[in-house]
Amino acid sequence: MSYAYLFKYIIIGDTGVGKSCLLLQFTDKRFQPVHDLTIGVEFGARMITIDSKQIKLQIWDTAGQEAFRSITRSYYRGAAGALLVYDITRRETFNHLTTWLDDARQHSNSNMVIMLIGNKSDLESRREVKKEEGEAFAREHGLVFMETSAKTAANVEEAFINTAKEIYEKIQEGVFDINNEANGIKIGPQHSPTNPSLPGAASSGGSQMSNCC
Amino acid sequence: MAFLEWRKFQFFDLRQNIEGSEKLLELSKEINITCTSAGNNYLVFGDSLGQIHLISRSWHINTFRGYEICIEHSFQLRSSPFLITIGHDEPGINPLIKVWDISKFDRNGIPFCQRITKAVAGSYPVQVSCLAVCDNQQLMAVGFLDGSLILYRGDITREKSSKQKTFKDVKTEITGLAFKLTANRIFLFVSTYKEVFVYNITQKDKEQKYQLDNIGCSRKCSVLAESTQESHFMVARNNAIYCYTPDGRGPCYAVDGEKILLEWFRTYLIIISKSNRSSSLPKNIINNVTTPQSTNQVLITVLDIYNKFIVYQYVMPNIRAVLYEWGSFFILGQDYRIYSLEEKDLQSKLSLLFKKNLYDVAIRIAKSQQYHLDGLVDIFKQYGDHLREKGDHAGAIEQYTKTIGKLEPSYVIRKFVDSQHLEKLIIYLQALHKQGQATEDHTTLLLNCYTKLNNTVDHTASLREFILSKESDLNYDVDIAIKVCRQGNLAEALKLAEKHEKHDWYIKIQIEDHQNYVQVLDYISSLKFEEADHYMKKYGQILIEHLPFESIQLLKRLCTNFKPNNSNNASDNIISAHYDIEMKSDPEDFIHLFLNNSSGLVEFLEHLITAGCFLSSSVYNTLLEQYLHVWVGTEASGEKQKIAHRILELLQNPDIKLNKSHALVVCDMHSFSEGILYLYEEQKLYQQILRYHISRNDPHSVLACCTRFGHQDPTLWVQALWSCVRDNKELSIDLLKQILTVIAKEKLFSPQLVIDAVSTGNAEITLGHIRSYIMNELQQEMKKSEEIAQLTGNYKKDTEKLKNHIEQLKNGVTHIQGSRCAACHHHLELPAIHFLCNHSFHQHCFQTCSDDESECPTCQPENKDLIELLKAREYNKDLHETFHFQLDKAHDGFSVAAEYFARGLFNNYRILR
Repeated sequence: MSYAYLFKYIIIGDTGVGKSCLLLQFTDKRFQPVHDLTIGVEFGARMITIDSKQIKLQIWDTAGQEAFRSITRSYYRGAAGALLVYDITRRETFNHLTTWLDDARQHSNSNMVIMLIGNKSDLESRREVKKEEGEAFAREHGLVFMETSAKTAANVEEAFINTAKEIYEKIQEGVFDINNEANGIKIGPQHSPTNPSLPGAASSGGSQMSNCC
Repeated sequence: MAFLEWRKFQFFDLRQNIEGSEKLLELSKEINITCTSAGNNYLVFGDSLGQIHLISRSWHINTFRGYEICIEHSFQLRSSPFLITIGHDEPGINPLIKVWDISKFDRNGIPFCQRITKAVAGSYPVQVSCLAVCDNQQLMAVGFLDGSLILYRGDITREKSSKQKTFKDVKTEITGLAFKLTANRIFLFVSTYKEVFVYNITQKDKEQKYQLDNIGCSRKCSVLAESTQESHFMVARNNAIYCYTPDGRGPCYAVDGEKILLEWFRTYLIIISKSNRSSSLPKNIINNVTTPQSTNQVLITVLDIYNKFIVYQYVMPNIRAVLYEWGSFFILGQDYRIYSLEEKDLQSKLSLLFKKNLYDVAIRIAKSQQYHLDGLVDIFKQYGDHLREKGDHAGAIEQYTKTIGKLEPSYVIRKFVDSQHLEKLIIYLQALHKQGQATEDHTTLLLNCYTKLNNTVDHTASLREFILSKESDLNYDVDIAIKVCRQGNLAEALKLAEKHEKHDWYIKIQIEDHQNYVQVLDYISSLKFEEADHYMKKYGQILIEHLPFESIQLLKRLCTNFKPNNSNNASDNIISAHYDIEMKSDPEDFIHLFLNNSSGLVEFLEHLITAGCFLSSSVYNTLLEQYLHVWVGTEASGEKQKIAHRILELLQNPDIKLNKSHALVVCDMHSFSEGILYLYEEQKLYQQILRYHISRNDPHSVLACCTRFGHQDPTLWVQALWSCVRDNKELSIDLLKQILTVIAKEKLFSPQLVIDAVSTGNAEITLGHIRSYIMNELQQEMKKSEEIAQLTGNYKKDTEKLKNHIEQLKNGVTHIQGSRCAACHHHLELPAIHFLCNHSFHQHCFQTCSDDESECPTCQPENKDLIELLKAREYNKDLHETFHFQLDKAHDGFSVAAEYFARGLFNNYRILR
């Protein structure tokens, strides 16, 4: 499967907000009501098409528990997009958003696209966080906002694809340096033969990176 | 702690004291093992003295000297007999790579050494830290302590064809190397203490380096986990195992502890880490082995990556190596004891899980190991049973649902068939239907459940939903469903019937249960033609009985130009054109519906006639019958007249193909005289008409009839005469006279017969009545005989004359007096030719104009004609058929016979010359 671009995502948020279920719904189109706790980081990939270009999304689904924070932090770097997830039926997951956001901003590259997601929108009866609150938080922090349901698949597709679109736009605008892999974007192998100088540049960029770190 | 999050099982058995392995123990007393490898049916140990030990499956040890000083690294290919070793033959020089073919031994029991290459990383000798060989035998990589990396391309067993390339991209020791082959690319994963990176080495001299991470790992702590899905390069760090793909980071498994060794075995990741929490770990099974050396103890963890469990965990004294070969997994302990770790079979794993009621885990494991379907179904069943016992009926049903198709549904149904669990049962039955496994009984049961729930709670909706669900979703026998619904939920039954186009059921329910005839008519008229036709035939009688007018309207439409009611005109134009051609019912089929409703039938049929339909004769017959029926029943004369008029119209209509004889019978039965007469006339049954009139004793009509039809059938008169004289007591003299006149004029009957008839009849006819007739006849007869007598006389005279002439010719003298030539009319000159017919010719004239010397040319044509005539007669007299034909045809047979006699039927003509 050749692709034009590879985007790396990270899904973050409190434990039990449905991060793994979002990923499962997006990659496998199914919902698993009982899900073991994520221990470490899980991984999924899917191809999407934007602007008639094949884009591969590689998604790191991180563990929400505090104990794994040190592991998950190392994944911020190298992610082009982040889905910051809270549970609309649990107020505290919303309250922790600032912590998560600070963490993300601190450890990621500055251009990372962050999408705020209020998950479990199917459980309207148990809602604790209003949609407006989510919107307000997103506005305040310059995020894109969306309410989703991993169970009914509502907006799941959109959440991932809209993020990809945003990243794609930023690439077109030249905001992202696509030759720096630490940004979480990789040019597909099909592009290499047409532009032989590019991979060499990428390789040297990578080694420079290793030196400076 | 993160570590405790993993589910833990003991799916492996650790075995010690493996038979034969004690040899190794003895061996180890003398040596110090420096490197291990396994593959191609051997375990390979290299020792600090430069010896290589090959251990076969039967634990036979074959030792040979590989290097003079020591051996540092070994790599046995998995499926080929090549062993690659790195060691030293002399101190202080570059390490030597040796490739051995361990399938070939020389006399001294030393395998054949294929290749010896110096591993030169730079200008001064550097220690090798890492070795990797690709299974395709074309690639080999050697990592050095100083971070140099040499990649050898080409057949590893031949030095000559091998090309090497040195990379010096990093400054720290290379700790791990792994080749990964994909369909079209080759990668070399490299780990150092400080970073992880990958080379794309697909194309020679175009190797590209990608950094994967800026944290590294120590020696032996990286492994390529190859699986069917995606291969990951796994790197163990203190907090977790990180996985890398050529694209970058992959997943990460949080496993605490300082890692010593990482190994990949089938789908399991084996992690050896330093143990610092021995107390919290499971008790050692082999108590007598463990020595309480807590400082040196290690923890073996086997991680099932796909199911995400720890499938084995055990603490034991420090170990030297982990090897896998012969389908098992061996651990070489610090004390050179060999332990084997054997995976339990699936059954025992499952029973272990069942004991703990961990059915969901069991299902996951069974699925990941491709357990056969029957076994899986059994797990689902057990899980279901378990959940049911716990009172989780919904969960139980969910499990039972997965058994559909294998497990007998009655097993499940029996468990839930009490009123409390009807809802669960419904879910199961619905699933059963969805998978097309439902039998009629299940449908019945399901519908009954709906009905029952309907009574207690408001569950009509679910029933409706079931009924209205798409057929593809639920496969059930609609007929059964309707039948069941009909018993309790008529409305649903109706809906069901309507939805599935079970028109028969729909109509039946509407008629029998709802008596909603209007609805039925509406429904039928919305159906397609064939169906409408069919159901009208079937139910028309009831409908007509209850809704005569509407039904008849519908029937009319059916028979003329039917279009389904609800169809859109625009879209159906094409179809309707099609209807016009052939979509017309045969009204005949509907006639029987109009039982006891003559007027209705009459109306129906009349409409059809006016609409110009093509109708079969039997339909007309029926109409006629109905008319007559009505006609007879009608009292008022005016009305009667009208009907009679209509009947006649019907009869006279040339377009109508009425079965006339049938019509006649019917008319006769109802004594409808106009009709009868008309039909007679039409059929040219004048005799019948006459007879009818006579029987009605209506002399005027008789006369009128005779005069009207006499020219077509003269025998009518005779008939009239006969009937006149035979039966009529009060004979109409006028009539008789008229008849006789006509008979006389047309010579229809011989006078003798007339008299005979008159005399034999019963009627009182006096001579006076027929006198004038007889007189007339007699006079005419006399006249005729006179004429004939005269004629005869003439003929006789002629005959006599001819006879005389012949006699004369025979016996008398003939004077030939002709003075002129009959040909040229000049005076005769000699020579001349004379004939008896008084014709004379010049000889030359005769010769020119005659073909035959014996005949007179003048008379010849005439004679010829006569001869031919005679010949023809001769010929004709043999044609008996002609004779008979003529005889039959002739008015007067006698004259024909006479003529034949005259031609000489019985004597032959002789033609005289």
